[in-house]
Amino acid sequence: MALTLTCPVCGKRNGYEFRYGGEDKGPKPDGFGLTPDAWCEYVHMNRCVAGIQKEWWCHKDGCGVWFTTHRDTLKNLEVEASS
Amino acid sequence: MNRLKNKPTLRVDTAQTISFTYKKKTFKGLKGDTIASALFANGIRIFSRSLKYHRPRGLYSMDGECSNTSMEVNGIPNVNTEKVLLENGMQLKAQNVKGSPELDIMGFMGSLDRAMPAGFYYRTMHKPARIWPMALKQIRKVAGLGRISPDFRMTGEYDEIYPSADVCVLGGGPAGMAAAAAAAESGLRVILLEARPRLGGFFDYRQSEFSPGVPLHQHARELEAHLQKMPNIRVFKHTSMVGAYSNNLITAFQKGDENDDFEERYLEIRAHSVVVATGCIERPLLFENNERPGVMQIACAHRLTNTYGILPGKRAVFSIAHDLGIEAAVDLFDAGLDIAAVADIRQDAPNESLVAELAQRKIPYLSGWLALSAHGSPFKKVVLTTLQGTFEKKFECDLLVASAGMTPVTGPLSMAQAELSFDHHTGFFLPRSLPAGLFAAGRIMGLNDPQAIEASGRIAGLSAAAASGKTSETALSATRATLAGRPKADRGNNLVMAPVKGRKTFICFDEDTTVKNIKQALSMGFDATELIKRFTAAGTGPGQGGIPGHNLPLLVAQHHTDTGTRTRPTTVRAPLVPTLMATYAGTNHDMSKQTPMHASQKQEGGIMRRIGVWNRARYFSDDLSCRREIENVRTNVGMLDATTLGKFRIYGPDALKALQRVYVGNMSKTPQGKIKYSAMCNEDGCIIDDGVVAQKGENDYYFTTSTARAGTTVEWIRFHTRYEGWDFNMVNLTDAFGVINLAGPRAREVLAAISDADISNEAFPFAAYREFTVNGSIPVRVMRLGFVGELSYELHVPSSWMETLWEALAEAGKPFGIANFGLEAQNVLRMEKGHLIIGSESEQRTTLHDVGLGGLWDRNKKGTDTVGVVALEQTEQQDKRLKLAGFKMKNTDKPPKDGSIVVDDRIRGHVCIARYSHVLQEVVGMALVEDPLNEIGHELHIYEDECQGQLVSATVVPMPFYDPKGERLRS
Repeated sequence: MALTLTCPVCGKRNGYEFRYGGEDKGPKPDGFGLTPDAWCEYVHMNRCVAGIQKEWWCHKDGCGVWFTTHRDTLKNLEVEASS
Repeated sequence: MNRLKNKPTLRVDTAQTISFTYKKKTFKGLKGDTIASALFANGIRIFSRSLKYHRPRGLYSMDGECSNTSMEVNGIPNVNTEKVLLENGMQLKAQNVKGSPELDIMGFMGSLDRAMPAGFYYRTMHKPARIWPMALKQIRKVAGLGRISPDFRMTGEYDEIYPSADVCVLGGGPAGMAAAAAAAESGLRVILLEARPRLGGFFDYRQSEFSPGVPLHQHARELEAHLQKMPNIRVFKHTSMVGAYSNNLITAFQKGDENDDFEERYLEIRAHSVVVATGCIERPLLFENNERPGVMQIACAHRLTNTYGILPGKRAVFSIAHDLGIEAAVDLFDAGLDIAAVADIRQDAPNESLVAELAQRKIPYLSGWLALSAHGSPFKKVVLTTLQGTFEKKFECDLLVASAGMTPVTGPLSMAQAELSFDHHTGFFLPRSLPAGLFAAGRIMGLNDPQAIEASGRIAGLSAAAASGKTSETALSATRATLAGRPKADRGNNLVMAPVKGRKTFICFDEDTTVKNIKQALSMGFDATELIKRFTAAGTGPGQGGIPGHNLPLLVAQHHTDTGTRTRPTTVRAPLVPTLMATYAGTNHDMSKQTPMHASQKQEGGIMRRIGVWNRARYFSDDLSCRREIENVRTNVGMLDATTLGKFRIYGPDALKALQRVYVGNMSKTPQGKIKYSAMCNEDGCIIDDGVVAQKGENDYYFTTSTARAGTTVEWIRFHTRYEGWDFNMVNLTDAFGVINLAGPRAREVLAAISDADISNEAFPFAAYREFTVNGSIPVRVMRLGFVGELSYELHVPSSWMETLWEALAEAGKPFGIANFGLEAQNVLRMEKGHLIIGSESEQRTTLHDVGLGGLWDRNKKGTDTVGVVALEQTEQQDKRLKLAGFKMKNTDKPPKDGSIVVDDRIRGHVCIARYSHVLQEVVGMALVEDPLNEIGHELHIYEDECQGQLVSATVVPMPFYDPKGERLRS
């Protein structure tokens, strides 16, 4: 896997060690009173940015931390936060 | 075997012979030989027959650029014999041959070329459509190279490694070695890959001088010795790069030598920066019969002589377009080859001193001439012509050294996303722009002067070091000055083809594509090189475009009338070189876990099965229905090793909040000393796990998950609390604790025999949690559960105590008839009781409601934002969902197989589990069936593979089947 990611605890590591946790969509909206559509929108719908997006990753084969980072989806490379 | 001796460039050891078998005869080669060089030394000239026309093929390039010399070696087909070193006892067999390579009865195919124009498969035998399947059958019979026996098994080890480096250098020639040394001088870690079994590149076999008194081959060995002294350089020889990816990830295949414990291995190299110094190959010269055995490229003839000590012929003609060709002619003449003429495509100023060397040896030099056609099989005559084809000269010879000039090995560059464009001065595809961290050096840039090549390698190495954070400006500027003082890139030659029509002029050897085929494709309107490649198959063979790679775009470009079209090579993709499937498969490490009881369970007759990551005892006798094990649990007492359960500690001020987030139940209602059974759902409300939670102390919980979820539970809980920053900690205790399930009506008596704790039903009731010691000192955590439907104690104990505790229980249980039971017995026991296993009685779409566990969900739990509850609300009233139903079979003692389908006019669900119950004396089971088929009393029709069209019927009945009131597990 060409991707490398920078774990906040362990530093830059091989992409094989991580699990993707999806786009960063912010905290879940309050569950009670959510319409099925609004719930589906949050849980299943993604923006699928062609470019730089903020996303969650878990260092599953390392320290186990969940963290956010930015990735250029066109090049599959981790990048500095978009300015 | 007549080898040249005393050459300083020799890489074979004339004292060490190696024997091998070919055509039922034993031959001898030398240590250091490739298979191809050893065959050639033994007079073998025809190595194989070509794919389509069965034309004889022989040694041409020596670097595996075509399938000419592919053979079956020790049963493995399509081994490129130019690239594999000879080993003792090798068994060789020629491919695509009926008879022998010299006398192939399929040879007549060569005269059928008119019947097989470009795109022949695509365009013929389709009308009428029904003839295609018949044609297909015949084509399949003759198509393809190499055969493998279906029962052939690979032997040997195939490994993989994942090294990292600051700088990775591709190519161990002069530029690559200089780059590696320069980058390593600053202390960086360097990896150097070389495809050949030895370093040195095109210096390795040459005798001309690098500097006064130092021949090139000697300098190459000095460079290698210099590299060996540097501990921070790791050299991989016989290692071909196969892919380059973003982030400077390089993949490669390495062939092991006699000292390695692998046959081949896969490398995945992570580097900060990469230097590409892959040098040049020769661009084949196109003329009639240009692939006849006896025709070979400059480096092939030169290396045969200087590296392997084999003179490639008796009398030769050279048709070349590069100084290296003249140098080779001089060298080979001195080694004893008779040279009839050297024809040079170039008319302007080749190296005059080299031409003078030819004159000294009275070798005729024909400037502006080239080969027109090769004749005879075996090859015996060549016709030379002028560039326009005006005049002709014939020469008798048995060797034609032919080459249209050099061309860079650009595969690695283009894979690494460098942009290439055609350069008219060098006639090369040169990199216009390189991505960050990628550098190119040496002959690939068009350089030819040895010192310039080395300087450019040094510059690339220093630049790569700078990109990896070690800048040395002074060294860089000094080397730049050296390079500026050396000759620039040579003027190249753009000519591709002799003035011929091209019917027997092969642009691609692997696929038997002729120039005529290319012209046919062009006349049909194909104008893009990529499309012509696909239509004619040129460059799609095992050589991966080594032969037609740069000739094809140049040839096509001549037919472009549109000046806007950019000439560029076709896209190359990984793998750049073919390799064994075994290397792709790798070692296939099968890693599994064993519980502390593994050895003793096996000793006691446990039949072990791989379940998830674990090895577990599934049966304890040959009776796969496990009757004795089951009945013993129901009447006496049994012991099960349940160590594989996921076990966790969660503690900290916010531990309860985290549990509330993932468990559907209200976890705040867990008084100390009690256990709470609950379930986890995903966002869709689908059940993913069930388990029990016990509160051990203030903000300190111990909980279990199913075996399958043990690996991901920590990650799951952290994911679903990722925004909160709550203060809690988790420890996965799965491997730290062993679990024994002591179950059966006499379980209490067994436990009481070794413990002083009060475990009476009043003091330690069902669903309670206790911690005490047994046998005086073994600390146990005990849960009163009833997964199998009997009085049972789940004893959790530190793994190191597991065996001791087990033995103590086994000893204490003897008077009560204690016996092992395995996983299958547990499966039947729990099914009789109507207890679920997530994943067996549920699938991906199954919600908590569907399996009838909706009651676990606490709707009044507020503010916890529990995962899945929104979906639980929404799906609760959905109709036509697959619901779990208990059933018993009518009129049969034979249970349907797990996974059999439930049908009426269409599929309505499937059987999750069904077993003959010895206790109930009938077949019972559970199925997921479409609502409302799950209603009590409904008849289910079950189809299974062996029912021979006769559906079997079952009736939906209430669960649990056994002890519906739950008196036994509370007793």
